Amino acid sequence: MAFDALFKPIEIGNLTIRNRVVSTAHAEVYATDGGMTTERYVKYYEEKAKGGVGLAICGGSSPVSIDSPQAWWSSVNVSTDRIIPHFQNLADAVHKHGGKIMIQITHMGRRSRWDGFDWPTLLSPSGIREPVHRSTCKTIEEEEIWRVIDDFAQGARRVKEGGLDGIELSAVHQHLIDQFWSPRVNKREDQWGGSFENRMRFGMEVLKAVRAEVGDDFVVGMRICGDEFHPDGLTHDDMKQIAAYYDATGMVDFFGVVGSGCDTHDTLANVIPNMSYPPEPFLHLAAGIKEVVGAPVIHAQNIKDPNQASRILEGGYVDMVGMTRAHIADPHLIAKIKMDQVDQIKQCVGANYCIDRQYQGLDVLCIQNAATSREYMGLPHIIEPSDGPKRKVVVVGGGPGGMEAARVAAERGHDVTLFEAADQLGGQITLAARAPQRDQIAGITRWYQLELARLKVDLRLGTRADAATIGDLRPDIVVLATGGQPFLSQVPEWGYAEDREQSLVVSTWDILSGAVEPGRNVLIFDSICEFAGVSAADYLADKGAKVEIVTDDIKPGAAVGGTTFPTYYRSLYEKEVIMTSDLALHKVYREGDSLVAVLENEYTGAQEERVVDQVVVENGVRPDEALYYTLKEQSRNKGQVDLEALYAIQPQPALATLDDDPNAGFVLFRLGDCTAPRNTHAAIYDALRICKDF
Amino acid sequence: MLDILLPILIFSALALAAIGAVRRIRLWRQGRPSPVPVLGGLAAVPRRYLVDLHHVVARDKVMSSTHVATAGGFVAAMALAIVVHGLGLAEGVLGWLLLAASATMFVGSLFVARRRINPPARLSKGPWMRLPKSLMAFSLGIFVATLPAVGVLPPDAGGWLVAVLLAAAVAWGLAELVFGMTWGGPMKHAFAGALHLAFHRRAERFSTAAGPGRRSTGLKALDLDDAEAPLGVETPADFTWNQLLGFDACVQCGRCEAVCPAFAAGQPLNPKKLVQDMVVGMAGGSDAAYAGSPYPGKAVGEHAGDPHGPIVAREGTALVDAETLWSCTTCRACVEECPMMIEHVDAIVDMRRFLTLEHGNTPNKGAEVLDNLIATDNPGGFDPGSRLHWAADLELPLMAERGEAQVLLWLGDGVFDMRNQRTLRALVKVLRAAGVDFAVLGNEERDSGDVARRLGDEATFQSLARRNIATLAQYRFDRIVTCDPHSFHVLANEYGELGGNYEVSHHSTYINELLEAGWLSLKASRLGRVTYHDPCYLGRYNGEYAAPRAVLDALGVERVEMARSGYRSRCCGGGGGAPITDIPGKQRIPDMRMNDVSETGADLVAVGCPQCTAMLEGVVAEDRAVVKDIAELVADALDESAPAKDRRRVTEEEAA
Repeated sequence: MAFDALFKPIEIGNLTIRNRVVSTAHAEVYATDGGMTTERYVKYYEEKAKGGVGLAICGGSSPVSIDSPQAWWSSVNVSTDRIIPHFQNLADAVHKHGGKIMIQITHMGRRSRWDGFDWPTLLSPSGIREPVHRSTCKTIEEEEIWRVIDDFAQGARRVKEGGLDGIELSAVHQHLIDQFWSPRVNKREDQWGGSFENRMRFGMEVLKAVRAEVGDDFVVGMRICGDEFHPDGLTHDDMKQIAAYYDATGMVDFFGVVGSGCDTHDTLANVIPNMSYPPEPFLHLAAGIKEVVGAPVIHAQNIKDPNQASRILEGGYVDMVGMTRAHIADPHLIAKIKMDQVDQIKQCVGANYCIDRQYQGLDVLCIQNAATSREYMGLPHIIEPSDGPKRKVVVVGGGPGGMEAARVAAERGHDVTLFEAADQLGGQITLAARAPQRDQIAGITRWYQLELARLKVDLRLGTRADAATIGDLRPDIVVLATGGQPFLSQVPEWGYAEDREQSLVVSTWDILSGAVEPGRNVLIFDSICEFAGVSAADYLADKGAKVEIVTDDIKPGAAVGGTTFPTYYRSLYEKEVIMTSDLALHKVYREGDSLVAVLENEYTGAQEERVVDQVVVENGVRPDEALYYTLKEQSRNKGQVDLEALYAIQPQPALATLDDDPNAGFVLFRLGDCTAPRNTHAAIYDALRICKDF
Repeated sequence: MLDILLPILIFSALALAAIGAVRRIRLWRQGRPSPVPVLGGLAAVPRRYLVDLHHVVARDKVMSSTHVATAGGFVAAMALAIVVHGLGLAEGVLGWLLLAASATMFVGSLFVARRRINPPARLSKGPWMRLPKSLMAFSLGIFVATLPAVGVLPPDAGGWLVAVLLAAAVAWGLAELVFGMTWGGPMKHAFAGALHLAFHRRAERFSTAAGPGRRSTGLKALDLDDAEAPLGVETPADFTWNQLLGFDACVQCGRCEAVCPAFAAGQPLNPKKLVQDMVVGMAGGSDAAYAGSPYPGKAVGEHAGDPHGPIVAREGTALVDAETLWSCTTCRACVEECPMMIEHVDAIVDMRRFLTLEHGNTPNKGAEVLDNLIATDNPGGFDPGSRLHWAADLELPLMAERGEAQVLLWLGDGVFDMRNQRTLRALVKVLRAAGVDFAVLGNEERDSGDVARRLGDEATFQSLARRNIATLAQYRFDRIVTCDPHSFHVLANEYGELGGNYEVSHHSTYINELLEAGWLSLKASRLGRVTYHDPCYLGRYNGEYAAPRAVLDALGVERVEMARSGYRSRCCGGGGGAPITDIPGKQRIPDMRMNDVSETGADLVAVGCPQCTAMLEGVVAEDRAVVKDIAELVADALDESAPAKDRRRVTEEEAA
C-alpha cells in the first residue's frame, strides 16, 4: 500500500493518533478577541481535521503569563480561565472529524515587544537585548521565576480542562525556557545559570509543575531546537544532551525538533525554510535527537510532499512529520492522498507569504489558497457544482487571478474558455520563477495547469483575446485578468521608449524573461523594494554581471518578508552585488557606448552618476485596461464589482440578471493587476470570491 | 411392407440405444463415487425438467416453445410409434394422436431449422447442423407412415418405392433420435441431460413438492484428511461420476459462451469448449471434431486426452491448457445460463486445486498471494496487526472488548486498501447514524479464504476458515454484516461445511432494512443518472438483486439499468483471483463493463463490492462514470441534522 508509513497510527502517551502527519504549532494571528479562539480559528483547524490531519498543534507561542504579551500576534491567551470554554469548541470541532489537537504554551521572555498594550517589562535570564524584535528586557528575579513556573502549570490546567489532547512546551525559538538553556543569553551565576543542571533547572521545574497539575494521563511534549547555529549558542551535541536529560525524566511524551535558533534575521530564515532551501534541510538534527530519546520525535521544516514525507518515515528518521505550510496550502492534503488524488494536492511552494505576514502581526494567509483561514466566511476549499444553469464563462489572462477564476468557474460546472496571450500559463509567476532560487514558485502554475486540464477548461494559449473573439463565444460571464506592464514611462527623464533599441532603460521583466541580454555592468533602480528588483539583481549577478541595486526607499528588498530577504541577501552579498539606499533615479542619458545614470539623494538632493552599460528599472506594474474599457459599455454591469457583496462573500448581484434576460449581454468582472497592481494572493482571493457563485 | 419394416426399425433402434446406454454409463462410472438416491432422483426428473430446467430455457421464449414442440412432439410420437407401428395397435385415437404428435414435432423442427439459417456464433455446427433435418425426416416419415393406419390413405398407398423412402426417413430419424442419443450424437443431451437432472451433485438446486429449490453456490470442501482422495482433479476420471454425466449433458447451445466475460475479453476460455473437452477426455481422443467457437487464440485439434491422463500437462499440451482454467473469474454467468444445469465453476476450481496443491503452479502473482495468505492471513502481505490502521480515529468497538453486539461488522481485506477504506468509513458512519449496536473483530479477523479457495488452495482456505470460525465462536452476535460480497459468500455458504453457520447480510441488504425501519434520515439526492453494477458474489451467488436497487431508489436517484444486469450482470473481472493470475486477452473485462455503464449514459455507477470498485475504478477512459459504493452514497446523503438514534437503547426500551 502506498503511503502506508504515513497512515500508520501512533500512540503518544494515552492518545492514538490516526496518522503520522502533524500540523505543527505556528502563530496564526487569528485569536483576535483578546486571545480567544475565534470562530475563524476553530474553523481553520476544523478544516485540517476534516482534511484528515492526524494531529494539529495549534497556538504557536501561546503565552501563559500576562508579561508575555498576547496581543502583538493575536496569540491564544492561556493566561486566563476565560479561554477554557473556547478550547472546548475547538476540541469538539477537531474531534468531530477524528483529529487530535494540542496547543503550544510558552513564556516568550525577551522575545516580544514591550512598546504597546500593557507596556510590559520583558523578562530574560540575564537582561540581554533581543535583536530581531529590538527588545530590551530585565533580568528575571527568583520570585518571578517561580511565578512563571506556576503560570505554566495553570496554563496546562486550562488546556486540559478545555478538552484539548495535550500541550507542547515551547523550548524553541529562544523563548524563556531555552533562554535559560543557552549560555549565549543565560549569564546567571545563581542556581538558574552556569552549570548544565542549573541552566536546565527552569525548564525542569516547569515540566514538574505542569506534570503535577495535569497528571500522567495527559500528553505533555516539548519543542526544542536541534542546533542554534550560533558560535556561542547551543550546538547539536548540547541539544542531544538536553533532550536526553529531559527524556530521562519520563515526563515528556514527545519531542518536536526545529533545526536552527532564530534570534537573528539570518537564523530566523532557517526556521521556516523558504523555497531556496532543499527539502527537509534539518532532518539530520531531528534524527540526531531521536537517537538519544525514547519519546516519539516530530519534525517539520520543508516537508511538503506526501512521497517525501513517506520516505522520511520509512527511513525511520523521525516518528511524525510536520507538514504545516503544506496544510496551509491545502488542508485536504491527507484526504486527497486517500482519495487517490495526489495530483490534486495544492502543494506549498515555500513563498512564505504566510509566515512573512505573521511576523508583521498580520493574519496568516496562503499566497495561493484564498480559502485558508476564511472557512468561517464560507469560502470553500472544495467547490461544489452549481445547481443553476450552465454558463459560458470567458476568462482573459492566464496569470494567478485568471487561472483561479477559470478553475473555480469550471468546478462550478460551467463551460470555461481561458485566453492567454503568452504560450504558457502563469503570468508574472513565470517571470518570478526565473530568478535563482525562486524556481519553485512555478509550483503555483503547475497546480493550476493540472487542475485546468482535469476540469477540461478550454485553454487558448498564445491567443490575445479581443472584443470580437470574446463575442464569438457568446459568453454569459467575462472575467478579465489581463495584468499589466512594467511602469517605465512614469518619469520621462528615464528615457524609456517602447522600441527597445531606442529605450535607455529596460524592465526587470525584460531581464528575467530573457528578452534582453544581461549587461556586464548594470545599475538597477528599484522604487518598489519587493521581489522583482532583488530577483533581477540576483539573476544578473548569476549571469556574471556587476550589479548595483539602488533604491530611494529604506533598502533594496525592504518590502520582502522577514524569512525571505535573508536568503536574497545571502545570495546577493556572496555575488558582490552592491546595495545602495536613499538614491532616486533622476535621469538616464547615453554617452558613447555607455549609459549614464544620474542619481539623486533623497535627503540632500545631491546628485551622483554611474556609468554603466545597462539600466534596469523596477517601478511596479501599470494595469492593462484597454480590453476592459472596450468591453465595459456592452456589459450588463458596466464592469462594476459590488463591494458589499464582495466583502461579505455574497453572490455578485449582477449574476442574478443573467436569469432575467439571457440575451442582454454578459456580466463583466476584472480582477488582479489589470485593476490595480497588488499581489498574487489579492488576485486569487478576488477570483475565488467573485467566481464561487457563478 | 411398412408394417414389417417399421417394427424392425423401431425395436432395432431401441436395442442399439440400450447397448449405447450401457457403454455411456460405463464412461461416467470412470469417475469417483458420489452417492445419490437412484430411484428418488429418477422420480424427481419430471418436476426438475418441467419446473427448474424450463425456468432457465424459458428465458428465450421462441427457443423454449420450439423445444416444447420438438421434444414434446418427439417423446409422444416415439412412444405412440412404438405402440402404433411397433406393436401394430392403431385402433381408436392412438393413430390420430400419433399424427398430431408428429405434426407438432414437425412444426417444432421447422423452427429448429430456421435457427440453423445463419446460426449465431455460440451454437456449435457440425452434426448439429443436420439435426433439424433428422427431426424433419423422422416427424414427416412417421406422419406419412401413419396416415394409412388411420385410414386417411389406403394401405400400401404409393407402392413399395414410397414405403422404402418412408422407412429410410424413419430409419434416419431413429438413428439420430434414438440410438444416436446414447452413441454420442447431438441427441445425447436428452439422455445424459435427463439422468443429470436425476443425479445432479447439487440436488438442493431443484424444486420439490415442498417448495422451490435454493441457490447452491458454495464450493464443496476437499477432505484433506483422506490420504486416498486426490487433491483436486488431475484426470477426467478424478471428477465424480455425476460431474462427468453433467458434462455429457451439454447441448452446445453456447449460452455460456455468450455470457462468459473471459471469452468476450479474448482470454483463452470458452465454457462450452471446456465442457466438450471434458467429454472428449472421458471417452479419450482429440478435440478435432469440436464444431463450436474455440478458446480465443487457440486452434482446435491440437489437444487430446484420455480418462486417466492428465488434463493439464506439466509441459507441452494435454487436454486443456492451464491458462484456460486461470482465465475464469468464477462469475457463474455460465452456470446461471446453462439449461442443462452444468456446474462449470465447480469443475474449474477442482482442476485448479490440483494445479495449485500438487503442481504448486499458480500463475503470475498467485503463488505470492498464497504465500502472503499463509504468512500474514491477508493476500497483500500486510502487517496483520495493522488491520485497523484506517480506523484509528473511529474508535470502533472491538468484539474482544465487548464480547457481544447485535451486528458483527466483517471488514474484509479491504481494510488495507485506501479506496475501500472510504467505503468502510462510510459504512461505519451509516451504522452510527442509525444507532446500530455493532462491533468488529479488528486484528482478530483474517482473510475469509475466498481468494485462496478460488485459486485452488483448499488447504489455506480451510486453515483460514477454521481459525475465523474459532474466533467467531467466542462472541455473541445476531448476524454478520459486510460490504464485501466475497466474504459474505464464504461466511454464509462455505463455512457451514466446516462448522460455521451464521446469518450474514450484505451491507446493502442491511442498509435497506435500516431505511425501511426508518432508522436513517436521508437528504434529497443531488445525484443524476445512476446505474447499478451487480457484483457476481452478491447477485448470482446470493440472489440479492433487490436491496441495492431499493437503496438507490430511496436515495431518489434516476436509476437506469445496463443491458446486462441482474442475473445477467457482466462480471467486473475481479473474481476468482483473475486479477492475480492475470491471463492476457484482447481487452480487459472491466473496460467492457465500463462500456456497458457508459451505454446507459449514467454519470455514476453504484457498486457493492470492493473488488468491483477496484476493477471499475481502474478503467481509464474519457468521461468515465464515477464509481461509488452504495455505502458511500448513503453516507453522503445522510441528513446529519437529524438526531442520531440509539437502536440498542430503543430496543431495550421497547422490550421493557
